[in-house]
Amino acid sequence: MKNSMSRRQFILAAGALAGSAVLAGCGGSSTSSSSTSTSADSSSSSASSSDDSYTLVKDGTLTVVAELGFAPFEYMNDKTGDPEGFDVDVINAVADKMGLQCEYLPNQKFDTLVPLIKQGGKADVSIAAITITDEREESVDFSEPYLDSNQAIVAIKGSTETEATLNDASKQVVCQGGTTGNDWITENLPNATCVPVDDVTAALTGVQTGLYNAMVVDLPVAKYMLTNSFSDLDIIEEIATGEQYGIAISKDNPNLTKAVNKALEDMKSDGTMDSIETKWFGSTI
Amino acid sequence: MSHMHENAMTRGESHHTRRVPALALALSAVLVLVATLALLPVSALAMTTNKATARPNEDGGSGVIGAMDTRLTWEGTVGDDEEVSSITLSLPEGATFDHASTRITVLDGLNRTSIDGTATSSGNSVDVQFSEGIPAGSLVRLEITNMQFPADGGDYVVSGSYTTADGQSHALDDSAAISVIANTPLQAAVSWLDAQPWVAAWNSNPFLGMFFKPQLLLTSFASLFPGWLVCLGIVLVCYPFAIVLGLAFAMLKTSRHKVLRAIAICYINLLRGTPLFLQIYIMFFGLPMVGINIDNNVLGVIVMAVNSSAYLAEIFRAGIQSIPQGQYEAAASLGMNGFQTMTSIILPQTVRRVIPTVTSDFITSYKDTSLLSSVGVMELMMFSKNLTTTTGNITPYMAAAIYYLIVTLPLIKVVGIIENNIARSERGGGPRPKRRAVAGASQESEEAKEELATSAEVSHTEEAKPATDVFAALSAPFVSHPTVDLGGVADGE
Repeated sequence: MKNSMSRRQFILAAGALAGSAVLAGCGGSSTSSSSTSTSADSSSSSASSSDDSYTLVKDGTLTVVAELGFAPFEYMNDKTGDPEGFDVDVINAVADKMGLQCEYLPNQKFDTLVPLIKQGGKADVSIAAITITDEREESVDFSEPYLDSNQAIVAIKGSTETEATLNDASKQVVCQGGTTGNDWITENLPNATCVPVDDVTAALTGVQTGLYNAMVVDLPVAKYMLTNSFSDLDIIEEIATGEQYGIAISKDNPNLTKAVNKALEDMKSDGTMDSIETKWFGSTI
Repeated sequence: MSHMHENAMTRGESHHTRRVPALALALSAVLVLVATLALLPVSALAMTTNKATARPNEDGGSGVIGAMDTRLTWEGTVGDDEEVSSITLSLPEGATFDHASTRITVLDGLNRTSIDGTATSSGNSVDVQFSEGIPAGSLVRLEITNMQFPADGGDYVVSGSYTTADGQSHALDDSAAISVIANTPLQAAVSWLDAQPWVAAWNSNPFLGMFFKPQLLLTSFASLFPGWLVCLGIVLVCYPFAIVLGLAFAMLKTSRHKVLRAIAICYINLLRGTPLFLQIYIMFFGLPMVGINIDNNVLGVIVMAVNSSAYLAEIFRAGIQSIPQGQYEAAASLGMNGFQTMTSIILPQTVRRVIPTVTSDFITSYKDTSLLSSVGVMELMMFSKNLTTTTGNITPYMAAAIYYLIVTLPLIKVVGIIENNIARSERGGGPRPKRRAVAGASQESEEAKEELATSAEVSHTEEAKPATDVFAALSAPFVSHPTVDLGGVADGE
């Protein structure tokens, strides 16, 4: 009697252990919480939480892909060449909350990010000031929004261009390919020629030299670039779009989205998010 | 109601007095209209419609096509003294909001206010109930995805109404018209492809669907066409300039003067030693910075011409130097000066020797116009890139590849034919032209010398003849018969 009891207890404990081991094998995260729970309810909780497991390209590492030319969200440090910026801090904090290391893949063109996440196998998440749109949501899942943003029209200082004058066949309006700025031009300036280029610097240089009449780009980026390197350009119009950035994650990995959302929520409640916002924008947003 | 009454009264009146009340009616209508117009500025307190736009849904184009899913974006600003609890938007008959999903954005200035809502669509109108009242002065944006405009094209305005928190309903100003086009034959073909089971099966293969999606291939072809013309235009305009420049630098490089040679060597080595991409960047971003503003396409032509000229200079130089010394000596023995030797003896022989290499360079230049896409010249790759970014599919690049091949494959074939002809004539094969047959020379070198003498004499004596000679020399590679350089070879060895 006593023997059978202890055997049952043993089996229960072994089951719990095996459950958490399986979880550790395929997950790599959130195991700490389940393994600390008591053996009695652990078997049930590990059974349900094994459904929470997600896959990672590299165990113990959150592999991130981004277009690293979008200051202040992500850009390469002049000296070290390491990625830094608001998004970089956010994803590092997210990885930290999930008990993972964060690793960036080499710089990729912006319009390849969503297809890359959709196709899977190379990167787990993409955080690159990607606006959550219905169209993109057809290809990938997004985390809860982590930042609100707007668009801006940038032109050379003293320019008399307005949204109305730009909507003309003789005007070339540049943008970064595949961005919401690109969409905004095709929808709101149908008569102008929309020129999508690969990176923001090339676009702004083009506006500076008069190659293009204006650029449409995310407002925080416009502000940052104009203060730091393109002082002869001006924001001629702020377009209130109220778009929201999200972290793109493959649709095949819904539990990773959940885990990222959990981490984002924790960051909002414990003040991590506020301190990152203050670091990059001078105040919370 | 009062109008009805008046109308009824009018009908009761006798014929001769009927006109007066009718006039009064018209007058009162005008008054009402004027009063409404006068009241409008006052009612600016009410919600205003900022704009309504539709996302282009034409595959590979920029038009908004009716009866096809698109996204309507409507923007309005809440008036100063009100709080809006719901908005109803409607489009003319034929439009449909069924299956549409609505994204709500409420902004206070540039800051997002988190207000949610539910949208219920019924036919050509959509009703959005907000979870809480939208405060005064806020900007409201409704993005209605997967709605459709009426099938017949035309200009459509978005009308509608809104209710305030106190339950009152007001009409919304009509938006500016959105122009919608009727279905195009191309789009009809795409729709037909969409419905085909084999197309679905084809696209279900990830590779085929990504690289050779039939629908996209079709639309890409149509929308890449202007880009193809730009490509062809640039290379066709730039090439004559490149040839002239190249020839000039070839002459400089073979010149006896050290300085001229140095200039040519610098020019050629700099241009051949750096990537064209870099040259394009320098020209497109550098020139405007020093105050030179040139049209993009013209600048493209200039960059391509300058770049090609360096390669052509080397090709021509090699061609000129491959002509045996004996040709110069023979020309000198006939009393020709340097210029005459060059134009009537050396260059005509060079031309046919360099034609295959020049054609190859032409092909390279034609393909290299693709690099101009990086600086906003609207050529093939630019169009493909635009399409790829909007569709997230690689197929437009495949369509571009076909456009490149249309030109390059025949040219490659031509190069092959010319090379064969030249090789055959260098071996001494091929048919003999009649003129030579009359001469009846058995020794090839003699024959060649005779020819050389003849052509030299001709250019000496008759002023009108050289043009036809040059033409003959130029067309020689295409008509397959040995001419002077056959002798040249025999002479040189």
